[in-house]
Amino acid sequence: MSIKEQIKSILQEAEIYRTQGLLNEAMIKYKIAAELIEKNVKIESGQALVDGITKKIELLKETISKYNDPDKTPKMPVEIQNLIKDKFSFSDDKESAVLEGAIALSKFGQFERAITEFSELLKNDSLRLVAAKNIIRCYFATSSVDGALSQYEQWLKSGIFHAGQIEKIRLFLENLLKDKGIERRLPLADITADISKEKVVPEETTFEKPVSESMVDIPEQEEMEEDEFLDINSVGIAITTGSQRRQEVVLDVAFQSGKSVSLIVPGREKILIEKFKVGLKLDDVQFYSPIAILNGSGVISAFTKISSGPKMGSYSLDLKIFT
Amino acid sequence: MAIFNLKNREIECKIVYYGPGRSGKTTNLEYIFKTFKKQVTDQLVTIDTEGDRTLFFDFLPMGLGKIRGCDVRVQLYTVPGQVQYSSTRKLVLKGADGIVFVADSFAIRRDKNMLSLKDLDLNLKECGLNIFKTPLVLQYNKRDMSSSADGSIPIMSVETMQNDLNRQLKAPYFPASALTGEGVGKTLKESLKLTLLNLHKELKWAQK
Ligand SMILES: Nc1nc2c(ncn2[C@@H]2O[C@H](COP(=O)(O)OP(=O)(O)OP(=O)(O)O)[C@@H](O)[C@H]2O)c(=O)[nH]1
Ligand SMILES: [Mg+2]
Repeated sequence: MSIKEQIKSILQEAEIYRTQGLLNEAMIKYKIAAELIEKNVKIESGQALVDGITKKIELLKETISKYNDPDKTPKMPVEIQNLIKDKFSFSDDKESAVLEGAIALSKFGQFERAITEFSELLKNDSLRLVAAKNIIRCYFATSSVDGALSQYEQWLKSGIFHAGQIEKIRLFLENLLKDKGIERRLPLADITADISKEKVVPEETTFEKPVSESMVDIPEQEEMEEDEFLDINSVGIAITTGSQRRQEVVLDVAFQSGKSVSLIVPGREKILIEKFKVGLKLDDVQFYSPIAILNGSGVISAFTKISSGPKMGSYSLDLKIFT
Repeated sequence: MAIFNLKNREIECKIVYYGPGRSGKTTNLEYIFKTFKKQVTDQLVTIDTEGDRTLFFDFLPMGLGKIRGCDVRVQLYTVPGQVQYSSTRKLVLKGADGIVFVADSFAIRRDKNMLSLKDLDLNLKECGLNIFKTPLVLQYNKRDMSSSADGSIPIMSVETMQNDLNRQLKAPYFPASALTGEGVGKTLKESLKLTLLNLHKELKWAQK
Protein backbone atom coordinates (compact mmCIF):
# COMPACT_ATOMS: atom_id res chain seq x y z
CA MET A 1 0.00 0.00 0.00
CA SER A 2 1.37 3.39 -0.91
CA ILE A 3 1.56 5.98 1.82
CA LYS A 4 -1.29 7.82 0.17
CA GLU A 5 -3.52 4.77 0.17
CA GLN A 6 -2.56 4.06 3.75
CA ILE A 7 -3.62 7.54 4.83
CA LYS A 8 -6.83 7.28 2.88
CA SER A 9 -7.65 4.01 4.56
CA ILE A 10 -6.94 5.37 8.04
CA LEU A 11 -9.16 8.37 7.36
CA GLN A 12 -11.96 6.09 6.19
CA GLU A 13 -11.60 4.06 9.33
CA ALA A 14 -11.74 7.20 11.45
CA GLU A 15 -14.86 8.30 9.61
CA ILE A 16 -16.66 5.02 10.28
CA TYR A 17 -15.77 5.11 13.97
CA ARG A 18 -17.11 8.63 14.12
CA THR A 19 -20.45 7.67 12.59
CA GLN A 20 -20.65 4.72 14.97
CA GLY A 21 -20.23 7.04 17.91
CA LEU A 22 -16.80 5.61 18.74
CA LEU A 23 -15.43 9.09 19.18
CA ASN A 24 -12.19 8.37 21.02
CA GLU A 25 -11.28 5.72 18.47
CA ALA A 26 -12.06 8.14 15.65
CA MET A 27 -9.87 10.79 17.25
CA ILE A 28 -6.91 8.43 17.60
CA LYS A 29 -7.14 7.49 13.94
CA TYR A 30 -7.38 11.10 12.80
CA LYS A 31 -4.29 11.92 14.81
CA ILE A 32 -2.37 9.04 13.27
CA ALA A 33 -3.41 10.18 9.81
CA ALA A 34 -2.36 13.76 10.51
CA GLU A 35 1.05 12.63 11.76
CA LEU A 36 1.59 10.46 8.71
CA ILE A 37 0.78 13.37 6.41
CA GLU A 38 3.09 15.73 8.27
CA LYS A 39 5.95 13.24 8.07
CA ASN A 40 5.49 12.89 4.35
CA VAL A 41 6.06 16.39 3.04
CA LYS A 42 5.74 15.11 -0.50
CA ILE A 43 1.99 14.79 -0.27
CA GLU A 44 0.42 17.53 -2.29
CA SER A 45 -1.93 19.87 -0.45
CA GLY A 46 -0.77 18.12 2.71
CA GLN A 47 -1.18 21.20 4.86
CA ALA A 48 -4.79 21.70 3.80
CA LEU A 49 -5.50 18.07 4.65
CA VAL A 50 -3.91 18.42 8.07
CA ASP A 51 -5.93 21.57 8.73
CA GLY A 52 -9.13 19.74 7.82
CA ILE A 53 -8.25 16.88 10.14
CA THR A 54 -7.35 19.22 12.97
CA LYS A 55 -10.78 20.78 12.66
CA LYS A 56 -12.41 17.37 12.87
CA ILE A 57 -10.39 16.54 15.96
CA GLU A 58 -11.49 19.78 17.59
CA LEU A 59 -15.12 19.00 16.83
CA LEU A 60 -14.73 15.52 18.29
CA LYS A 61 -13.18 16.93 21.44
CA GLU A 62 -16.12 19.27 21.82
CA THR A 63 -18.64 16.49 21.39
CA ILE A 64 -16.82 14.23 23.82
CA SER A 65 -16.71 16.86 26.52
CA LYS A 66 -20.38 17.58 25.93
CA TYR A 67 -21.17 13.90 26.49
CA ASN A 68 -19.06 13.77 29.59
CA ASP A 69 -20.95 16.62 31.18
CA PRO A 70 -21.99 14.83 34.34
CA ASP A 71 -24.95 16.89 35.47
CA LYS A 72 -26.99 16.52 32.36
CA THR A 73 -29.90 14.39 33.43
CA PRO A 74 -32.83 14.73 31.10
CA LYS A 75 -36.20 15.14 32.67
CA MET A 76 -38.22 12.12 31.72
CA PRO A 77 -41.86 12.08 30.76
CA VAL A 78 -44.15 10.96 33.55
CA GLU A 79 -44.88 7.66 31.79
CA ILE A 80 -41.24 6.70 31.90
CA GLN A 81 -40.98 7.71 35.54
CA ASN A 82 -43.99 5.47 36.18
CA LEU A 83 -42.29 2.66 34.32
CA ILE A 84 -39.19 3.00 36.47
CA LYS A 85 -41.24 3.09 39.63
CA ASP A 86 -43.02 -0.04 38.54
CA LYS A 87 -40.18 -2.06 37.05
CA PHE A 88 -37.44 -1.32 39.55
CA SER A 89 -39.26 -2.34 42.66
CA PHE A 90 -39.13 -5.97 43.56
CA SER A 91 -40.82 -6.32 46.94
CA ASP A 92 -44.21 -7.92 47.40
CA ASP A 93 -44.93 -5.63 50.29
CA LYS A 94 -46.58 -2.55 48.86
CA GLU A 95 -44.82 0.04 50.95
CA SER A 96 -41.36 -1.46 50.53
CA ALA A 97 -42.09 -1.51 46.81
CA VAL A 98 -42.89 2.20 46.85
CA LEU A 99 -39.61 2.77 48.67
CA GLU A 100 -37.63 0.77 46.12
CA GLY A 101 -39.36 2.56 43.27
CA ALA A 102 -38.57 5.94 44.79
CA ILE A 103 -34.93 4.96 45.33
CA ALA A 104 -34.71 3.86 41.69
CA LEU A 105 -36.20 7.17 40.56
CA SER A 106 -33.59 9.06 42.51
CA LYS A 107 -30.84 6.86 41.10
CA PHE A 108 -32.07 7.75 37.64
CA GLY A 109 -31.80 11.39 38.60
CA GLN A 110 -35.56 12.01 38.81
CA PHE A 111 -35.29 13.77 42.14
CA GLU A 112 -38.45 15.83 42.06
CA ARG A 113 -40.59 12.81 41.38
CA ALA A 114 -38.64 10.77 43.91
CA ILE A 115 -39.38 13.37 46.59
CA THR A 116 -43.08 13.07 45.80
CA GLU A 117 -42.87 9.29 46.17
CA PHE A 118 -40.81 9.39 49.36
CA SER A 119 -43.24 11.90 50.81
CA GLU A 120 -46.02 9.35 50.45
CA LEU A 121 -44.08 7.10 52.79
CA LEU A 122 -43.89 9.67 55.56
CA LYS A 123 -47.31 8.42 56.59
CA ASN A 124 -45.84 5.04 57.38
CA ASP A 125 -44.37 4.79 60.82
CA SER A 126 -41.66 2.26 60.04
CA LEU A 127 -40.57 3.87 56.77
CA ARG A 128 -40.87 7.51 57.83
CA LEU A 129 -37.26 7.95 58.80
CA VAL A 130 -35.76 6.29 55.71
CA ALA A 131 -38.12 8.26 53.52
CA ALA A 132 -37.18 11.52 55.23
CA LYS A 133 -33.45 10.87 54.90
CA ASN A 134 -33.91 10.09 51.23
CA ILE A 135 -35.87 13.27 50.69
CA ILE A 136 -32.97 15.19 52.22
CA ARG A 137 -30.57 13.34 49.93
CA CYS A 138 -32.65 14.28 46.91
CA TYR A 139 -32.43 17.95 47.84
CA PHE A 140 -28.68 17.65 48.19
CA ALA A 141 -28.41 15.82 44.88
CA THR A 142 -30.09 18.76 43.17
CA SER A 143 -27.77 21.09 45.10
CA SER A 144 -30.74 22.55 46.87
CA VAL A 145 -29.39 22.94 50.38
CA ASP A 146 -32.05 25.56 51.02
CA GLY A 147 -34.72 23.11 50.01
CA ALA A 148 -33.40 20.59 52.51
CA LEU A 149 -33.28 23.17 55.28
CA SER A 150 -36.77 24.46 54.73
CA GLN A 151 -38.04 20.90 54.48
CA TYR A 152 -36.46 20.17 57.85
CA GLU A 153 -38.01 23.22 59.41
CA GLN A 154 -41.37 22.32 58.00
CA TRP A 155 -41.10 18.82 59.44
CA LEU A 156 -40.12 20.27 62.75
CA LYS A 157 -43.29 22.30 62.84
CA SER A 158 -45.56 19.63 61.43
CA GLY A 159 -44.94 17.25 64.31
CA ILE A 160 -45.21 14.13 62.19
CA PHE A 161 -41.93 12.78 63.55
CA HIS A 162 -41.24 11.47 67.03
CA ALA A 163 -38.59 13.30 68.98
CA GLY A 164 -36.13 10.45 68.35
CA GLN A 165 -36.77 10.49 64.64
CA ILE A 166 -36.44 14.22 64.17
CA GLU A 167 -33.22 14.09 66.15
CA LYS A 168 -31.83 11.50 63.75
CA ILE A 169 -32.85 13.61 60.80
CA ARG A 170 -31.17 16.62 62.36
CA LEU A 171 -27.90 14.72 62.82
CA PHE A 172 -28.14 13.33 59.33
CA LEU A 173 -28.70 16.75 57.81
CA GLU A 174 -25.97 18.38 59.87
CA ASN A 175 -23.53 15.72 58.68
CA LEU A 176 -24.44 16.28 55.06
CA LEU A 177 -23.99 20.01 55.57
CA LYS A 178 -20.63 19.40 57.19
CA ASP A 179 -19.57 17.38 54.13
CA LYS A 180 -20.34 20.45 52.10
CA GLY A 181 -18.24 22.56 54.43
CA ILE A 182 -21.25 24.15 56.09
CA GLU A 183 -21.08 24.15 59.89
CA ARG A 184 -24.53 24.76 61.17
CA ARG A 185 -26.51 24.02 64.31
CA LEU A 186 -30.04 23.26 63.30
CA PRO A 187 -33.00 24.05 65.51
CA LEU A 188 -33.97 21.21 67.82
CA ALA A 189 -37.32 19.56 68.19
CA ASP A 190 -39.57 21.16 70.75
CA ILE A 191 -39.43 18.39 73.33
CA THR A 192 -42.18 19.79 75.54
CA ALA A 193 -44.58 19.83 72.66
CA ASP A 194 -43.66 16.26 71.92
CA ILE A 195 -44.18 15.07 75.45
CA SER A 196 -47.58 16.64 75.71
CA LYS A 197 -48.47 14.97 72.45
CA GLU A 198 -47.27 11.65 73.73
CA LYS A 199 -49.60 11.85 76.66
CA VAL A 200 -52.49 11.77 74.28
CA VAL A 201 -51.13 9.06 72.01
CA PRO A 202 -48.78 6.78 73.91
CA GLU A 203 -46.25 5.39 71.49
CA GLU A 204 -43.07 3.40 71.66
CA THR A 205 -41.01 6.51 71.07
CA THR A 206 -40.20 6.95 74.71
CA PHE A 207 -37.71 4.11 74.38
CA GLU A 208 -35.93 5.65 71.47
CA LYS A 209 -32.73 7.28 72.58
CA PRO A 210 -31.29 9.86 70.25
CA VAL A 211 -27.79 8.77 71.24
CA SER A 212 -28.05 5.52 69.32
CA GLU A 213 -26.65 7.00 66.13
CA SER A 214 -23.40 8.12 67.68
CA MET A 215 -23.05 4.95 69.76
CA VAL A 216 -23.23 2.81 66.68
CA ASP A 217 -20.77 5.05 64.94
CA ILE A 218 -21.40 4.17 61.35
CA PRO A 219 -20.03 6.49 58.71
CA GLU A 220 -22.64 8.19 56.55
CA GLN A 221 -20.97 6.91 53.37
CA GLU A 222 -22.10 3.47 54.22
CA GLU A 223 -25.65 4.67 54.31
CA MET A 224 -25.34 6.14 50.88
CA GLU A 225 -24.66 2.76 49.41
CA GLU A 226 -26.95 0.83 51.62
CA ASP A 227 -29.72 0.30 49.15
CA GLU A 228 -27.42 -1.80 46.97
CA PHE A 229 -27.45 -4.59 49.53
CA LEU A 230 -29.10 -8.01 49.18
CA ASP A 231 -32.72 -8.51 50.12
CA ILE A 232 -32.92 -10.34 53.41
CA ASN A 233 -35.94 -12.38 54.46
CA SER A 234 -34.92 -13.43 57.92
CA VAL A 235 -32.04 -13.17 60.33
CA GLY A 236 -30.65 -15.90 62.56
CA ILE A 237 -29.09 -14.74 65.78
CA ALA A 238 -26.98 -17.21 67.74
CA ILE A 239 -27.22 -17.04 71.50
CA THR A 240 -25.75 -19.10 74.27
CA THR A 241 -28.31 -20.18 76.82
CA GLY A 242 -27.75 -20.82 80.52
CA SER A 243 -26.60 -24.38 79.95
CA GLN A 244 -23.98 -23.01 77.53
CA ARG A 245 -25.85 -24.47 74.59
CA ARG A 246 -25.70 -22.49 71.43
CA GLN A 247 -29.08 -21.79 69.96
CA GLU A 248 -30.13 -19.92 66.89
CA VAL A 249 -33.22 -17.80 66.98
CA VAL A 250 -34.56 -16.91 63.55
CA LEU A 251 -36.39 -13.60 63.32
CA ASP A 252 -38.40 -12.33 60.38
CA VAL A 253 -37.45 -9.11 58.69
CA ALA A 254 -40.27 -6.61 58.89
CA PHE A 255 -38.51 -4.06 56.80
CA GLN A 256 -35.17 -3.57 55.15
CA SER A 257 -33.40 -0.52 53.90
CA GLY A 258 -30.10 -1.59 52.44
CA LYS A 259 -27.82 -2.62 55.24
CA SER A 260 -30.33 -1.92 57.93
CA VAL A 261 -33.07 -4.36 58.87
CA SER A 262 -35.98 -4.10 61.25
CA LEU A 263 -36.85 -7.32 63.04
CA ILE A 264 -39.75 -8.28 65.23
CA VAL A 265 -38.73 -10.01 68.44
CA PRO A 266 -41.72 -11.86 69.91
CA GLY A 267 -42.38 -11.07 73.55
CA ARG A 268 -41.76 -14.70 74.52
CA GLU A 269 -38.06 -14.46 73.58
CA LYS A 270 -37.23 -13.36 77.09
CA ILE A 271 -33.52 -14.20 76.93
CA LEU A 272 -33.03 -12.09 73.84
CA ILE A 273 -35.06 -9.23 75.18
CA GLU A 274 -33.02 -9.14 78.36
CA LYS A 275 -29.78 -9.16 76.46
CA PHE A 276 -30.55 -6.69 73.71
CA LYS A 277 -29.80 -3.04 74.02
CA VAL A 278 -28.92 -0.24 71.66
CA GLY A 279 -25.25 -0.32 70.71
CA LEU A 280 -24.83 -4.03 71.40
CA LYS A 281 -22.75 -5.81 68.78
CA LEU A 282 -23.90 -9.27 67.69
CA ASP A 283 -21.03 -11.29 66.31
CA ASP A 284 -22.70 -14.44 65.08
CA VAL A 285 -25.52 -13.56 62.75
CA GLN A 286 -26.82 -15.34 59.67
CA PHE A 287 -28.62 -13.34 57.03
CA TYR A 288 -31.00 -15.39 54.90
CA SER A 289 -31.74 -14.01 51.47
CA PRO A 290 -33.52 -15.81 48.62
CA ILE A 291 -30.21 -16.37 46.87
CA ALA A 292 -27.63 -16.74 49.58
CA ILE A 293 -26.98 -17.10 53.27
CA LEU A 294 -24.46 -14.66 54.60
CA ASN A 295 -22.54 -14.80 57.80
CA GLY A 296 -21.86 -11.56 59.50
CA SER A 297 -22.39 -9.36 62.45
CA GLY A 298 -24.61 -6.48 63.33
CA VAL A 299 -25.08 -3.65 65.73
CA ILE A 300 -28.41 -2.91 67.36
CA SER A 301 -29.33 0.63 66.44
CA ALA A 302 -32.80 0.71 67.95
CA PHE A 303 -34.77 -1.55 70.28
CA THR A 304 -38.25 -0.61 71.33
CA LYS A 305 -41.30 -2.27 72.76
CA ILE A 306 -44.32 -2.16 70.53
CA SER A 307 -47.10 -0.73 72.66
CA SER A 308 -50.05 -0.81 70.32
CA GLY A 309 -51.47 -2.68 67.36
CA PRO A 310 -51.45 -6.39 66.56
CA LYS A 311 -47.77 -6.79 67.48
CA MET A 312 -48.25 -5.23 70.92
CA GLY A 313 -45.92 -6.77 73.47
CA SER A 314 -43.32 -7.70 70.87
CA TYR A 315 -40.21 -5.67 70.32
CA SER A 316 -38.99 -3.90 67.24
CA LEU A 317 -35.28 -4.23 66.68
CA ASP A 318 -33.19 -2.34 64.14
CA LEU A 319 -29.96 -3.99 63.16
CA LYS A 320 -27.15 -2.46 61.13
CA ILE A 321 -25.51 -5.21 59.12
CA PHE A 322 -21.80 -5.82 58.76
CA THR A 323 -20.70 -8.57 56.40
CA MET B 1 -36.43 -12.05 39.11
CA ALA B 2 -39.26 -13.64 37.23
CA ILE B 3 -42.74 -12.93 38.45
CA PHE B 4 -45.00 -15.95 38.65
CA ASN B 5 -48.64 -15.84 39.07
CA LEU B 6 -49.54 -19.49 39.36
CA LYS B 7 -53.21 -18.84 39.85
CA ASN B 8 -53.56 -17.01 36.56
CA ARG B 9 -50.78 -19.14 35.10
CA GLU B 10 -48.72 -16.13 34.11
CA ILE B 11 -45.00 -15.75 34.04
CA GLU B 12 -43.03 -12.59 33.41
CA CYS B 13 -39.28 -12.69 32.95
CA LYS B 14 -36.51 -10.24 32.25
CA ILE B 15 -33.73 -10.45 29.68
CA VAL B 16 -30.98 -7.86 29.75
CA TYR B 17 -28.81 -6.91 26.79
CA TYR B 18 -25.36 -6.14 28.15
CA GLY B 19 -22.12 -5.13 26.44
CA PRO B 20 -19.68 -2.27 25.89
CA GLY B 21 -20.83 1.14 24.70
CA ARG B 22 -21.83 1.36 21.04
CA SER B 23 -21.81 -2.41 20.50
CA GLY B 24 -25.37 -2.41 19.17
CA LYS B 25 -27.65 -3.29 22.11
CA THR B 26 -30.21 -0.62 21.35
CA THR B 27 -30.05 -1.49 17.65
CA ASN B 28 -30.94 -5.09 18.57
CA LEU B 29 -34.06 -3.93 20.37
CA GLU B 30 -34.97 -1.58 17.56
CA TYR B 31 -34.78 -4.42 15.08
CA ILE B 32 -36.84 -6.72 17.33
CA PHE B 33 -39.42 -4.00 17.74
CA LYS B 34 -39.69 -3.57 13.96
CA THR B 35 -39.71 -7.24 13.11
CA PHE B 36 -41.57 -9.12 15.80
CA LYS B 37 -44.71 -7.01 15.63
CA LYS B 38 -46.96 -9.86 16.68
CA GLN B 39 -45.08 -10.51 19.90
CA VAL B 40 -44.33 -6.93 20.84
CA THR B 41 -47.00 -5.75 23.26
CA ASP B 42 -46.13 -2.10 23.68
CA GLN B 43 -43.87 0.71 22.54
CA LEU B 44 -40.11 0.47 22.67
CA VAL B 45 -39.02 2.85 25.37
CA THR B 46 -35.59 4.35 24.77
CA ILE B 47 -34.09 7.12 26.78
CA ASP B 48 -31.23 8.60 24.82
CA THR B 49 -28.80 11.27 25.58
CA GLU B 50 -27.21 13.21 22.76
CA GLY B 51 -25.59 11.08 20.14
CA ASP B 52 -28.00 8.19 20.67
CA ARG B 53 -26.08 6.69 23.56
CA THR B 54 -28.29 5.00 26.06
CA LEU B 55 -28.24 6.97 29.27
CA PHE B 56 -30.53 4.81 31.40
CA PHE B 57 -32.00 1.82 29.63
CA ASP B 58 -34.21 0.68 26.79
CA PHE B 59 -37.30 -1.34 27.49
CA LEU B 60 -39.35 -3.56 25.23
CA PRO B 61 -42.21 -5.75 26.49
CA MET B 62 -43.17 -8.88 24.55
CA GLY B 63 -45.76 -11.59 24.87
CA LEU B 64 -44.91 -15.07 23.72
CA GLY B 65 -48.37 -16.51 24.12
CA LYS B 66 -49.01 -19.77 25.91
CA ILE B 67 -46.13 -22.10 26.59
CA ARG B 68 -47.14 -25.32 28.30
CA GLY B 69 -50.28 -23.75 29.54
CA CYS B 70 -48.59 -20.65 30.91
CA ASP B 71 -48.95 -17.18 29.54
CA VAL B 72 -45.35 -16.09 29.04
CA ARG B 73 -44.35 -12.46 28.96
CA VAL B 74 -40.81 -11.23 28.61
CA GLN B 75 -39.31 -7.83 29.05
CA LEU B 76 -36.17 -6.88 27.20
CA TYR B 77 -33.84 -4.26 28.63
CA THR B 78 -30.56 -2.77 27.51
CA VAL B 79 -28.01 -1.28 29.84
CA PRO B 80 -25.96 1.82 29.04
CA GLY B 81 -22.63 0.44 27.88
CA GLN B 82 -20.45 3.44 28.60
CA VAL B 83 -18.12 2.84 31.51
CA GLN B 84 -19.29 5.81 33.57
CA TYR B 85 -22.85 4.51 33.91
CA SER B 86 -21.87 1.69 36.18
CA SER B 87 -24.48 2.23 38.86
CA THR B 88 -27.28 2.38 36.29
CA ARG B 89 -26.05 -0.88 34.81
CA LYS B 90 -26.25 -2.54 38.18
CA LEU B 91 -29.74 -1.24 38.72
CA VAL B 92 -30.96 -2.47 35.35
CA LEU B 93 -29.28 -5.84 35.77
CA LYS B 94 -31.07 -6.49 39.02
CA GLY B 95 -33.57 -9.28 38.71
CA ALA B 96 -32.41 -10.41 35.25
CA ASP B 97 -33.41 -13.95 34.34
CA GLY B 98 -31.28 -14.11 31.22
CA ILE B 99 -28.52 -12.12 29.58
CA VAL B 100 -27.49 -11.40 26.00
CA PHE B 101 -23.96 -10.10 25.80
CA VAL B 102 -23.54 -8.00 22.65
CA ALA B 103 -19.86 -7.80 21.71
CA ASP B 104 -18.46 -5.45 19.11
CA SER B 105 -16.59 -7.15 16.25
CA PHE B 106 -14.43 -4.09 15.62
CA ALA B 107 -10.86 -5.06 16.49
CA ILE B 108 -10.40 -1.66 18.06
CA ARG B 109 -13.03 -2.57 20.67
CA ARG B 110 -11.39 -5.85 21.65
CA ASP B 111 -10.37 -4.73 25.15
CA LYS B 112 -13.70 -3.02 25.73
CA ASN B 113 -15.54 -6.29 25.06
CA MET B 114 -13.43 -8.11 27.60
CA LEU B 115 -13.72 -5.37 30.19
CA SER B 116 -17.47 -5.27 29.80
CA LEU B 117 -17.75 -9.03 30.26
CA LYS B 118 -15.68 -8.72 33.42
CA ASP B 119 -17.94 -5.94 34.59
CA LEU B 120 -20.94 -8.20 33.97
CA ASP B 121 -19.33 -10.96 36.00
CA LEU B 122 -18.72 -8.59 38.91
CA ASN B 123 -22.17 -7.10 38.83
CA LEU B 124 -23.80 -10.51 38.71
CA LYS B 125 -21.75 -11.52 41.73
CA GLU B 126 -23.05 -8.48 43.55
CA CYS B 127 -26.57 -9.68 42.82
CA GLY B 128 -25.54 -13.05 44.24
CA LEU B 129 -25.49 -14.68 40.79
CA ASN B 130 -22.89 -16.77 39.04
CA ILE B 131 -22.13 -16.01 35.41
CA PHE B 132 -21.68 -19.70 34.65
CA LYS B 133 -25.11 -20.52 35.99
CA THR B 134 -26.96 -17.56 34.48
CA PRO B 135 -28.61 -18.15 31.11
CA LEU B 136 -26.20 -16.29 28.84
CA VAL B 137 -25.92 -15.93 25.08
CA LEU B 138 -23.12 -14.10 23.27
CA GLN B 139 -23.64 -12.09 20.13
CA TYR B 140 -20.75 -11.00 17.92
CA ASN B 141 -22.26 -7.95 16.32
CA LYS B 142 -21.49 -5.78 13.29
CA ARG B 143 -20.43 -8.76 11.15
CA ASP B 144 -21.75 -6.83 8.14
CA MET B 145 -18.65 -4.67 8.39
CA SER B 146 -16.35 -7.59 7.66
CA SER B 147 -17.49 -7.51 4.06
CA SER B 148 -17.27 -3.73 3.79
CA ALA B 149 -16.17 -3.00 0.26
CA ASP B 150 -12.78 -1.48 0.93
CA GLY B 151 -12.08 -3.60 3.98
CA SER B 152 -10.83 -0.54 5.81
CA ILE B 153 -12.20 -1.64 9.17
CA PRO B 154 -10.24 -4.27 11.04
CA ILE B 155 -12.77 -6.85 12.23
CA MET B 156 -11.98 -9.70 14.59
CA SER B 157 -12.54 -13.23 13.46
CA VAL B 158 -15.19 -15.24 15.27
CA GLU B 159 -12.38 -17.50 16.55
CA THR B 160 -10.59 -14.56 18.13
CA MET B 161 -13.78 -13.43 19.83
CA GLN B 162 -14.55 -16.95 20.98
CA ASN B 163 -11.09 -17.18 22.44
CA ASP B 164 -11.33 -13.79 24.13
CA LEU B 165 -14.80 -14.09 25.56
CA ASN B 166 -16.15 -17.58 25.45
CA ARG B 167 -13.25 -19.91 26.19
CA GLN B 168 -14.44 -20.65 29.68
CA LEU B 169 -18.08 -19.71 29.47
CA LYS B 170 -18.85 -21.92 26.49
CA ALA B 171 -22.12 -20.08 26.00
CA PRO B 172 -24.11 -20.27 22.77
CA TYR B 173 -22.88 -17.53 20.42
CA PHE B 174 -24.15 -15.89 17.27
CA PRO B 175 -22.42 -13.74 14.68
CA ALA B 176 -24.91 -11.01 13.90
CA SER B 177 -25.65 -7.65 12.40
CA ALA B 178 -28.17 -5.75 14.43
CA LEU B 179 -28.32 -3.23 11.60
CA THR B 180 -29.46 -5.73 8.95
CA GLY B 181 -31.14 -8.02 11.47
CA GLU B 182 -28.94 -10.99 10.67
CA GLY B 183 -28.70 -13.20 13.76
CA VAL B 184 -30.83 -10.93 15.94
CA GLY B 185 -33.81 -13.26 16.07
CA LYS B 186 -31.59 -16.29 16.60
CA THR B 187 -29.87 -14.63 19.51
CA LEU B 188 -33.16 -13.70 21.14
CA LYS B 189 -34.72 -17.12 20.60
CA GLU B 190 -31.75 -18.92 22.11
CA SER B 191 -31.77 -16.58 25.07
CA LEU B 192 -35.50 -17.13 25.61
CA LYS B 193 -35.03 -20.86 25.38
CA LEU B 194 -32.25 -20.92 27.95
CA THR B 195 -33.99 -18.47 30.25
CA LEU B 196 -37.29 -20.32 30.28
CA LEU B 197 -35.58 -23.69 30.69
CA ASN B 198 -33.67 -22.34 33.63
CA LEU B 199 -36.78 -20.90 35.24
CA HIS B 200 -38.52 -24.18 34.67
CA LYS B 201 -35.70 -26.04 36.40
CA GLU B 202 -35.87 -23.65 39.31
CA LEU B 203 -39.59 -23.46 39.67
CA LYS B 204 -41.07 -26.39 37.80
CA TRP B 205 -43.86 -24.13 36.60
CA ALA B 206 -44.58 -26.04 33.46
CA GLN B 207 -45.40 -29.33 35.15
CA LYS B 208 -48.42 -28.33 37.09
N1 LIG C 1 -22.49 -1.56 10.71
C1 LIG C 1 -23.16 -1.83 11.81
N2 LIG C 1 -23.40 -0.85 12.70
C2 LIG C 1 -24.09 -1.17 13.81
C3 LIG C 1 -24.55 -2.48 14.07
N3 LIG C 1 -25.17 -2.47 15.27
C4 LIG C 1 -25.12 -1.20 15.72
N4 LIG C 1 -24.48 -0.41 14.84
C5 LIG C 1 -24.22 1.03 14.97
O1 LIG C 1 -23.43 1.22 16.13
C6 LIG C 1 -23.79 2.43 16.78
C7 LIG C 1 -24.16 2.14 18.22
O2 LIG C 1 -25.31 1.30 18.27
P1 LIG C 1 -26.28 1.26 19.54
O3 LIG C 1 -27.28 0.20 19.29
O4 LIG C 1 -26.75 2.61 19.87
O5 LIG C 1 -25.24 0.78 20.64
P2 LIG C 1 -25.48 0.51 22.18
O6 LIG C 1 -24.84 -0.78 22.48
O7 LIG C 1 -26.92 0.62 22.51
O8 LIG C 1 -24.63 1.69 22.84
P3 LIG C 1 -24.78 2.34 24.31
O9 LIG C 1 -26.21 2.69 24.47
O10 LIG C 1 -23.88 3.52 24.32
O11 LIG C 1 -24.33 1.30 25.27
C8 LIG C 1 -24.94 3.02 15.98
O12 LIG C 1 -24.40 3.98 15.12
C9 LIG C 1 -25.46 1.83 15.18
O13 LIG C 1 -26.05 2.20 13.98
C10 LIG C 1 -24.27 -3.49 13.10
O14 LIG C 1 -24.61 -4.66 13.23
N5 LIG C 1 -23.56 -3.10 12.01
MG1 LIG D 1 -27.94 1.76 23.78
